[in-house]
Amino acid sequence: MREHVLILRILNAKKRLMSFIETTGSFAMQRATSFAQMISFAAAVFYRLFMLGTYNSATRTVLVNQIYFTSIQILPAFLAVSVLFGSVLIGIVFQLLKNLGLTDLFGNVLMGLIVTELSPLFTVLLITLRSGAAINTEMAAMKVNQEIKTLETFRIDVINYLLAPRVVNGIISVVLLSFLFSIVLMGSGILFSRVIFGISADVYVNILLNSTNFSDIVIALVKCAVFGFFITFIPIYFGLRATHELTSIPIVVSRGMVSVFAAILIIEVLSLLTKLM
Amino acid sequence: MTFFDTEEKLSRAVQKFLRVNPRNAAPVCEDIPLLSNQEAWLNIALIKQYHENMSAQASRKLVFNWLKRLGLESVADKRNLALGDKERFLVKLLRSAMVQNAAILINRPFNMVPQLKNIDPILQALKTIDDLYSSCHIYDYDWMEQKYGALCR
Amino acid sequence: MSREYKVGIFVICAAALVLLALLFLAVEKGLFSTSHTYTLSSRTGDGFAVGMPVVFSGFDIGRVHSLELDDRGIVLIKIRIPDKHVKWIKEDSFFVLYRPLIGAARIVVNTNNLESPPMPEKKVAEVFVVNDINDAIEKIQPLLETIERLSRRIDGMAAKADEQVFGKEGTLPQINKILKDVAGKLEKLETTVDNLNKISKDASEGTQDLGALRADIDEVTQTLNKVSRDINALLYKKKDTEIKLP
Repeated sequence: MREHVLILRILNAKKRLMSFIETTGSFAMQRATSFAQMISFAAAVFYRLFMLGTYNSATRTVLVNQIYFTSIQILPAFLAVSVLFGSVLIGIVFQLLKNLGLTDLFGNVLMGLIVTELSPLFTVLLITLRSGAAINTEMAAMKVNQEIKTLETFRIDVINYLLAPRVVNGIISVVLLSFLFSIVLMGSGILFSRVIFGISADVYVNILLNSTNFSDIVIALVKCAVFGFFITFIPIYFGLRATHELTSIPIVVSRGMVSVFAAILIIEVLSLLTKLM
Repeated sequence: MTFFDTEEKLSRAVQKFLRVNPRNAAPVCEDIPLLSNQEAWLNIALIKQYHENMSAQASRKLVFNWLKRLGLESVADKRNLALGDKERFLVKLLRSAMVQNAAILINRPFNMVPQLKNIDPILQALKTIDDLYSSCHIYDYDWMEQKYGALCR
Repeated sequence: MSREYKVGIFVICAAALVLLALLFLAVEKGLFSTSHTYTLSSRTGDGFAVGMPVVFSGFDIGRVHSLELDDRGIVLIKIRIPDKHVKWIKEDSFFVLYRPLIGAARIVVNTNNLESPPMPEKKVAEVFVVNDINDAIEKIQPLLETIERLSRRIDGMAAKADEQVFGKEGTLPQINKILKDVAGKLEKLETTVDNLNKISKDASEGTQDLGALRADIDEVTQTLNKVSRDINALLYKKKDTEIKLP
């Protein structure tokens, strides 16, 4: 009798183990499939960005509106934050370098770390928080309201009309705002290098030029463009996965934003790896 | 004007209509809403801008002209939720009429404008914009026939 | 101002700024200028890398373009110098691979005479290696050896000193003996001083009785003089004789 119970228990445990493995496998497959779908969709959108037929008066109108909302509206606040945050940051970094006796390296730190790494990251986080979240919700609301069906009924391509202008806006905005942030940082650098190191503007510019790698700047610009692509593409992609129920909006928005954050980290790590190689 | 006795038949007929007119079908339905993040005039202009690459200024001028003809200039800059039922219907109708050689299909008009007593105001609007479309079809349930009055007989 | 206008101004201005900055950087970095290639040689490729900066007076004037190994196993380093910086490289220039403790390695160009003729591109100059870590170790090595030698000598000296000071014939036992001797002598001196006090007391008593002892003063004085002379003599002779007062 006891043996019988033992055998039953073993069988039960085996069944549970199998079920656990099956669930894990199915979860992994589901995730892999959805990731592959997202990447293939991203490739389709990327390809479409280079097709002339994608752009028409309607997409241009959307593009202008998107740039206005993402870059122009944010510009005064962005510049104010840049000046404030950038000056404090540059001041602290320069003082730290002076204390550590690494004054020689300030050009490398400014160009290699702050201008090419920190300013794109700061800009992309700011735009994601403001516009990425807005785009995600907007798309989810459009899906719930059946407005996507409207576009399809009137033979308006969703990629051309919704994705392309927003993604192009993402690329343009991140590249330009990040560049402006770098300019502000380098401007405050002139002031702080004079105060902390007693360096004149001419010498400062020369040191910056010496420590600037053309390839680093190109990598930083490409990184900004990739950031811009994904911080607009991912929110749209997840927003369009909403169902017709209102309750699906918060779900897709939170998923979208978490994915955007993961994408930002992955791109940052990849760019650092590119630099290391 | 075509009447159906069941929802299923009507739905099938709408699908068939869309299949038969793949390039110029222009439905006016309750479940094909206006884009809520754009003003009324942009919803109408979108068709011309997207399919004919008409510039924003030219399309705005065109749309305002047609809205004026329908007595709707005041709603041009309003968004979907700010529109009344009749205004929303007319904006949808004008949007459909913007399709080249439009084959307009009005699906259950009294569902969209419940306060209408008869079809006359809709026919009036269709007449005002009749040089914009090539054909117009109205689908409804057969128990709504009385609202169509003399047209059915 | 319309939305389109604002967007247009922003995009045009910002894009122009980006392009101008890139152009400025490209021109400054000599991307559009033609360049000269010089070949340097080294016995080892250790520390060299493609893209490494070539520096003159602290300023970047070029880059390492490629590294090759020739048939004799010598590393050939091809450096590319833009035309505007070629003037710094002369026939008598010498090249040093500088590897600082902190910061990137670089090839430093040293030109003593800027008037000398330009270096021909075919000339293969050797690169000297200055390595901060190795240099530091090299500089410290003789110092360490000296310290070791010194410590060995100090050890020997300490052992000798031990024997001389603490040994049987050493300084310390002899000093002890002398000290004991001195202590004995001091004890005796103490007794003498006591006696002297006594004498001075007697003397004062004697002076008090001036009337009665007037006749004896001379004699006492003489006696005292004699006693003091004797004491002095005794002290100088350091004899263990007892001092007896008259």
